Amino acid sequence: MMHQLDLLADFIRTLFAPLSDAITALVPTELLNDYLMSLPAITLVVFAGIALLVGLRYNPLPVSFIGVILATVEMVLFEPDVLGGSSFGGLFVRDAFGDFFIYIILMVAFLVLMSTTLYGGNKGPYNFLLMVSFAGAIWVVMATDFVGLFMAWELMSTPTYMLVALSPHREGIDGATKYFVMGLLSTSLMLLGITLVYGVTGTTALSEVGTQVAIIWASPYGVENAAYTLLLAMVLFIVAFGFKVGIFPGWQWVPDAYASADGSVTGYLAGGSKKTGVSALIRIMMVAFLVAKTEWMPLIVAVAILTMVIGNVLALAQKDIMRMLAYSSIAMMGYLFIGLAVGTEYGAAAAIFHAFTHALTKTAAFILIWAMSVRLAKRIKYDDLAGLSKRSPLAALTLTVFVLSLAGMPLTVGFYSKILLFHSAAVAGLWWLALIGIINSVFSLGYYLRVLKYSYFMEPKEKGKLVLARIPMAAVVLCFVAVVGLFLYADLILPYAFEAAQALLS
Amino acid sequence: MQSALAEAILSMLPGNVLILMLVIPLVGGFLAYVLGSRSARAIALLTTTVELGFAIVLALGTPAMAADHQGMSYYFEMTLATLGTSSSSPAIRFVLGVDGISLVMILLSNLVVFIAALSSNHIKDSERSYYALFLLLQTGLLGVFMSLDLIGFFLFWELVLIPMFFIVGGWGEEGSQHAAVKFFIYTHFGSGVMLVGFFVLYLLSAPVYTFNMLVLRGMGLDPMVQIGFAIALFFGAGVKLPVWPLHNWLPWAHVKAPTPGSVILAGILLKMGGYAFVRLGLWMVPDAIAALAIPFAVLAIFTCIYAAFTAMAQTDMKSMVAYTSINHMSWVLLGVAAYGWNYSIGATMAANLALQGAIFMMFSHGTIISVMFIVAGQMKYAAGTREIPEIKGLMAKAPHLASVTILASLAAFGLPGFSGFIAEILVLFGSVVNLFWTALITFGIFVTVGYILWMLNRVVFSDPDEEKEITEAPWEDLIAPILMMIPVILLGIWPDLIIGIVQPVIDVMLAGGALP
Repeated sequence: MMHQLDLLADFIRTLFAPLSDAITALVPTELLNDYLMSLPAITLVVFAGIALLVGLRYNPLPVSFIGVILATVEMVLFEPDVLGGSSFGGLFVRDAFGDFFIYIILMVAFLVLMSTTLYGGNKGPYNFLLMVSFAGAIWVVMATDFVGLFMAWELMSTPTYMLVALSPHREGIDGATKYFVMGLLSTSLMLLGITLVYGVTGTTALSEVGTQVAIIWASPYGVENAAYTLLLAMVLFIVAFGFKVGIFPGWQWVPDAYASADGSVTGYLAGGSKKTGVSALIRIMMVAFLVAKTEWMPLIVAVAILTMVIGNVLALAQKDIMRMLAYSSIAMMGYLFIGLAVGTEYGAAAAIFHAFTHALTKTAAFILIWAMSVRLAKRIKYDDLAGLSKRSPLAALTLTVFVLSLAGMPLTVGFYSKILLFHSAAVAGLWWLALIGIINSVFSLGYYLRVLKYSYFMEPKEKGKLVLARIPMAAVVLCFVAVVGLFLYADLILPYAFEAAQALLS
Repeated sequence: MQSALAEAILSMLPGNVLILMLVIPLVGGFLAYVLGSRSARAIALLTTTVELGFAIVLALGTPAMAADHQGMSYYFEMTLATLGTSSSSPAIRFVLGVDGISLVMILLSNLVVFIAALSSNHIKDSERSYYALFLLLQTGLLGVFMSLDLIGFFLFWELVLIPMFFIVGGWGEEGSQHAAVKFFIYTHFGSGVMLVGFFVLYLLSAPVYTFNMLVLRGMGLDPMVQIGFAIALFFGAGVKLPVWPLHNWLPWAHVKAPTPGSVILAGILLKMGGYAFVRLGLWMVPDAIAALAIPFAVLAIFTCIYAAFTAMAQTDMKSMVAYTSINHMSWVLLGVAAYGWNYSIGATMAANLALQGAIFMMFSHGTIISVMFIVAGQMKYAAGTREIPEIKGLMAKAPHLASVTILASLAAFGLPGFSGFIAEILVLFGSVVNLFWTALITFGIFVTVGYILWMLNRVVFSDPDEEKEITEAPWEDLIAPILMMIPVILLGIWPDLIIGIVQPVIDVMLAGGALP
């Protein structure tokens, strides 16, 4: 079936046909087969290097922009269906599932680069770290092998530790330290998990692990130890990847790092790198451990419920908007894990779609608050939002729409993503899980409505208009248009999410 | 009750009339916002007048039961979101259509919105945002009464909250922000629980898997599911209606909202609850309501008496009117419960009366309570306060306002000759036939008559207090309530105007949902 954006993709392909022809003609076939699919990520790495060099004399931001746009064009040009998705000897594979997340990452990357005009974007190292992290994120999503996954994971994570520390706030160092220490812990747990899996199955490729697990699960008698070891590894994976995602039990670093980093990095952490954790976890659970679904389902359900509750309760207690949004991110991941817990194609699609809408909304919200924070030269608290509708109607309107989207109200794309998640749970027979999710969602109105209350019903403390920087606001407005537009026409994106879920489970 | 002229007008319209009716307020709202505060009110009045015209033409020119689509006229279907990759996958759709019951509700909402727009003349603060939200609200309200798809229904149901939240919080009086938040969270909670019920129905619609009400209709439900769905529906519709113990948001929101906000809240938002009980319960899966008919009836009676006593204790006139709303809407729930019970035991005559009464009550209450709220809001301008003990001698000082107050009050406690009387009689006749103890609800009428007359006695017929100044309401403030009294009296002497529209639908429902 033709989806809505395929026409656009075809157009881009015809437009850039000379480029793709030149690449396929000039480069030797063996090289091509081995690296072509990773070209977007490689491009980002190359441009990261260029940005570092350019940054010695000039503003490197345009270089980064070109890199991200070029990577996106390459994504469209080289279709995995036509050319086969494998690269690096099958360590990194592009498929419909991975592509969906790669586009999310590139979208977030573009928005984040727009936002770095506020702070940091004019420095070479900053651009370098960001771009390398983007490349790592793409490889994480593509990885179908535990070793590749681990390397990509480190490539993505390490720059973000430094980026958080580079924040203009003094507490950036604290946040980065907490993030770093917990990150190392999760990495070691992940390594332990990988070793356990390798020890039992003798392979690190996800699909082969899946086969082995299926064999063990088919006749577990006599090999109980192997089964229990695999279960332990599974728990370790949930904890380790869940750390990046910010779910129970590894969520503690999220508010500190998010609130102390500069807003662009926060936007990337919430919109981009968080989603890679989601994708990696979905891939591991759905590909390697699908037969063990009955075992991991209760676990994921428990994690989802705890994450939702923790995120919502603690978000209610915050005064700082960045921290509130950070906790709301945690709660959002709780909702997302409902889709994973369901474990069906529909559930996976709902989770994937939610990842997309959350990336869109949260990144934009962080950029908006960051733009205000830079303009007012202070951290934005609820009080600073008072009378926002009078001081900057555009900022108030966009913030309102993002907040309503997070709350899952109509007129925003968040409405569908929440409905789909809860519906997928109900369809799989977990109606009580849907009910818990909905009640949590109602609870979350407690802090979302506070934002609306302050920005619309309160009188401003300071007079005068609030003029926000133009380029970040352009990013915010783009997201605003997308959030409202996708409500009117969700079918623009939704079939791709279902296609991704199908690719995963086939 | 069809007129050839109305049919001719409808056939001349470009496109589907329902889509037009949904889009016109959106366009109007956009224009009102763009063109600025000076012309916003004019645009809003024009839009609501056009919409009211459409609603009247629609009610006159549309058969209550059309030949196909289970009686739905102007059937329209559009896919919002496909749940899969092929075109045959299940989907979230946007399905519109109207039958007699929807026609009545659409007429009522456009009437109330028109009156609310007229009575918005005291809104002076950022008018363009106000009227833009106001018209967005109208689209949401109409959408609820037109939707035939559960998710589309839910979408509009939730859409209503957003503009209402801003209207209550932004233009209400002191403390309205808290009321707005409370209103939002309460109703969102109720609808969330209802949504789970929708999901369960979807699951039971296997193997078609649809949210379309026409397909889901008449689906036999497992007894446990019946109770589950009835409870879910009770949360969603019961918060809106409202029923004790879910009513707590109502006095807050109604009292703190600006007058037109209260008018729309009481005049239409509460009817959304009643409509949900009728459409999603009695019309779609009557078994579900039948399973919990007795508890519903008990709750209705309790709510009626409880709200009447609470209303008696209020000193703020608006608050008293708000509790009167709760008091009256419980009659709708009683009618619904009585229909469910009578339907399940096959007592068609009584079921018919009960449902007629429930729908008539919604219409009649929507009109009467609008007048009451406008009058109560007017007290603030006329006497400087809404505290009942502080207003004295209204008859002597402000005879016009006093006359409207008297008429509306008489209508509110159901004096014969006004529409409220017919509604109460119909519900009562329908319910006591097989559930004789429901006659207890008449105690609620007794109390209602008591506190309303007491209020009139203190406010209108008392001796004027020379120290307190009371000014007569200007005519431009009185146009809206006087216009709204016309349907109240008209329906009191000619109830068939409304009943005639819904009766064919009820006949089909009583025949088990099959077309005659």
